[in-house]
Amino acid sequence: MMPTVFVLNVEEFRPLVENALARTDYEVTGPAGGYWRIQSNGEIAFSRKELGFKPAVWNGALTGGLVGEVVQFDKETLRIVGDGQ
Amino acid sequence: MNIIDRMPLAGVHHTARPTWKLAETVHFYRDMLGLPLVHAISARGWGPDDHADFLHFFFDSGNGSTIAFFYYIGAPEPDFAMAREDYRYRATHTAWRVESFEKLMECRRRVEAAGISLRYQIRHEVIESIYFNDPNGYPIEIAWQARPFSDLDIADASRTLDAAIQLYEEPGALTCIDDVWRVKGEQLQREMEAA
Repeated sequence: MMPTVFVLNVEEFRPLVENALARTDYEVTGPAGGYWRIQSNGEIAFSRKELGFKPAVWNGALTGGLVGEVVQFDKETLRIVGDGQ
Repeated sequence: MNIIDRMPLAGVHHTARPTWKLAETVHFYRDMLGLPLVHAISARGWGPDDHADFLHFFFDSGNGSTIAFFYYIGAPEPDFAMAREDYRYRATHTAWRVESFEKLMECRRRVEAAGISLRYQIRHEVIESIYFNDPNGYPIEIAWQARPFSDLDIADASRTLDAAIQLYEEPGALTCIDDVWRVKGEQLQREMEAA
């Protein structure tokens, strides 16, 4: 299963969507039912600094939902792979 | 689940906590923060417990709300009431509302000018807050909400808590927040595929 991140369609999480839309290797669909969906054939990665997220929002960046596994989530980098990858 | 009509509430009247620092508490809220002292009850102990005589006093925290304290005369401070440096203790706190970011910053300036040590200023998703302690060690937060909660926030809150409760009710299933994110994400995935 491809790694998938759901992002609630509110302004506070918008940088996740903007960042993913700028990437050719991510597929972004939505918003549908209030959520954007970000998928990738490889892994999905975000940088806190690129997103401009302060720590409290960064630590809740996946609150919209997730399919896959978080393999790195430290102060600066978030990486998600698909199940079984 | 029973859906009941909303109770006709109009906001917070008061929250109340005990204090063993009577003078320091009055000085802090009335004189340092500038919250008017608006009501004080002084009474003999009463009720079924061996209740100490007490003072119960209220400071105006705006918009009809107050913060209140009990001072129990001669009653020792029990261990369960002692402030401690632990996030689980700080979870019990009072958060006051301000109407703009500028007013939040004005509060920060006033708190710092009064010599109160600011613990943090934190931007959350929808709320930005400053935090400091009162003389009892009770945490105080002043919060500005950048926008009203929307239908999306409300629906998302239910999805999050539904996922968490599903895991919570299954022994050993809720081990970290990723578990909640996955249940929520898998539910959304199913809904999108069905659409």
